Amino acid sequence: MITDAVIADRVTKRFGQHVAVNELSLRVPAGVIYGFIGPNGSGKTTTLRMVMRILHPDDGSIQVLGEYHHGAANDRVGYLPEERGLYKTMKVRDLLRFYAALKGSRDSDALIASWLERMGLSDWAMKKVETLSKGMAQKVQFIAAIIAKPELVLLDEPFSGLDPVNAVVLREAILDLKNGGTTVIFSTHDMNVAEKMCDFLFMIHKGVKVLDGTLQSIQEQYGLDTVKVRWDGNGELDRWPGVVKVTDFGQYKELRLERGGDTQKLLQELAARGRVTHFEVAHPTLHDIFVRIAGAAETTHH
Amino acid sequence: MRKIWVIAVREYLAAVRTKTFVIGLLMMPILMGGSALLQYLFKDMVDVRDKNFVVVDRIGNKGLTDSILQFMDVHNKTLTVDVSTGKQTKPRLVVLAEEPAGTSQDEIDRQRFQLSERVRKGELVGFLEILQNSKSPNQVKLRYQTNRPTFMEFPIIAETTAAEFLRKKTAEKLNIPSESIQALSKPTSLENKGLTNRDEATGAITDSPDQSRFASIIVPMVAMIFMFMLVLMGATPLMQGVVEEKTARIAEVLLGSARPFEIMMGKLLGMVAVTLTVSAVYLSGAIWAAQRFEVAEYITVDFVLWFILFQSLAALMFGSLFIAIGAACTEMRETQNLMWPVMLLACLPMFLIGTVIRDPHGPVVRGFSFFPFATPSLMIGRISAPPGLPLWEPLLAVALVLVTTVFCVYCAGRIFRVGILLQGKGANLKEMFRWVIRG
Repeated sequence: MITDAVIADRVTKRFGQHVAVNELSLRVPAGVIYGFIGPNGSGKTTTLRMVMRILHPDDGSIQVLGEYHHGAANDRVGYLPEERGLYKTMKVRDLLRFYAALKGSRDSDALIASWLERMGLSDWAMKKVETLSKGMAQKVQFIAAIIAKPELVLLDEPFSGLDPVNAVVLREAILDLKNGGTTVIFSTHDMNVAEKMCDFLFMIHKGVKVLDGTLQSIQEQYGLDTVKVRWDGNGELDRWPGVVKVTDFGQYKELRLERGGDTQKLLQELAARGRVTHFEVAHPTLHDIFVRIAGAAETTHH
Repeated sequence: MRKIWVIAVREYLAAVRTKTFVIGLLMMPILMGGSALLQYLFKDMVDVRDKNFVVVDRIGNKGLTDSILQFMDVHNKTLTVDVSTGKQTKPRLVVLAEEPAGTSQDEIDRQRFQLSERVRKGELVGFLEILQNSKSPNQVKLRYQTNRPTFMEFPIIAETTAAEFLRKKTAEKLNIPSESIQALSKPTSLENKGLTNRDEATGAITDSPDQSRFASIIVPMVAMIFMFMLVLMGATPLMQGVVEEKTARIAEVLLGSARPFEIMMGKLLGMVAVTLTVSAVYLSGAIWAAQRFEVAEYITVDFVLWFILFQSLAALMFGSLFIAIGAACTEMRETQNLMWPVMLLACLPMFLIGTVIRDPHGPVVRGFSFFPFATPSLMIGRISAPPGLPLWEPLLAVALVLVTTVFCVYCAGRIFRVGILLQGKGANLKEMFRWVIRG
């Protein structure tokens, strides 16, 4: 019984002079939803491709489902690439049969039919891929990735191009996979989704790990230093002592306090100078943490 | 192996289940025999307008001139008309005699110029002069002027008629019966035959059936052109497919499921299957046609088997090169830059096709038939040209081609592995070479 689906040990990948991934180490436990977050160009896709054995690391090693090299284990890994990878002139059902057969899955017709129905695509089984809309194609791509019942699934930006309704369908499918024992790694730059769905998060920036752990453990690193406030008073809050940063969202403001800042004192000050209709003490959101890290890294870089 | 099969099946079905394939299958005989087919279709659409000529007798032999005019008359009445329907099937050759304008060079030149002007205006097709042959007094010189040198029916008929007339006249003068004159003018006839065989069992000695030019010209030529077209028709979509898979990001999905070498082999085998399907259709058609026209002995079982073998090897060899090109490019436009060396290799046998027909076992063709890229086409040309080859030659050639094919597939594999994920700019030949060496 494998405890870890993926173990990467100081993996480096270069493209010419550019270092896409730099001494990256990570551990993905089996049966979890693992979020890979980071901006474009951070090395997410390169890392996923190395896990898929499409690319090979220049240094370090990656163990996937217990194997160090491309082998039988590859058939137990499903992959949804960032861009659509479907044969335009093939019929949906034939395409899914093809991808299933490639992974060694026989007699996949019943499973194909049930997934198509679940995704609302039963009527499109005999239609050519080129007749599908972007969202439908994405769903077909997803089915192709999981049709051979893989133990590990890599989804690169699975929600891109999906409207809210389809996003819900996909989300539920991913949760079902996890409940069925499949390990799911998905990469996204939508922090909202990552926060809600992932058991573990791994943030990558310029090819380097910057965060690794559960949402809770990550947030605890920063403490309760965010205050959401709705206040009708005047004043430049960012000049107040103890306030590091103010983000104005129109309806409310988000204040970041210094470490160890006194939230009660802040409340009193605000109440003294105006009406407070909302005051919430919270952990920073993942988005906020990300911006802090990416911003800081930019500053250090310059 | 299973993955190679899955991919090969997909490639095969994707290729044959298209309108393009079916149309191409029908178009090939038209493309190859196009001109012959057109001529056959339009053979009844002949220009039957009268063609006018003038004869000028400068030696005063009225009998000779009259014989030409009379013969043309008979020719027009009997050979240019369909006697049952009265319909004109060929143009009449209408000939009129004109008196010579004079004997001085000046008068002769002027008359020639006037007649030439009439030809330029379109009134005449040409004009014939009967002259003294100063070098050989016993012969008459016929001088024909025209601006349509490919229409020679009139001067040829006129010459034959004149020759016949003069022969008769000479025979009469010398009191020789006319049959003897025939024997004098054409004393020989030529029979072309094959070799004499001895039956091993009965000891009976027999002549081979009469040689047909069909075997030595049509079969090798058609076989070579067919092989050439098959390979190109199969390999080009292969290359396009690879480029499309790259641009459509399908390559990435495939690589997540199979190794690059497995993907490439699957594509190659699918393509070989497509070319074999096309071959099967055409070979069956050719065998049926050969039986119908009673030339079946020229398409033997041996020939068919060699054809299939060489065609499969050619498909693998060139297919792998085309795949390599596709893998090195990021869009279709770039393939044109890299295609020319491969096209040159593929066209090489076509450059030699004339020599193959004339001298299939001469040193040039023989030498080139062992050059692996030209082998499939040239060897099949040599095998089908009588008297055939000793077995060791095609066997050696097959061995050389096999080695080359393995080498090509290996290099293509290395190029494919690197190139298939290449985005942005395509690679040039130098970079491809580096990929083969360093991977």
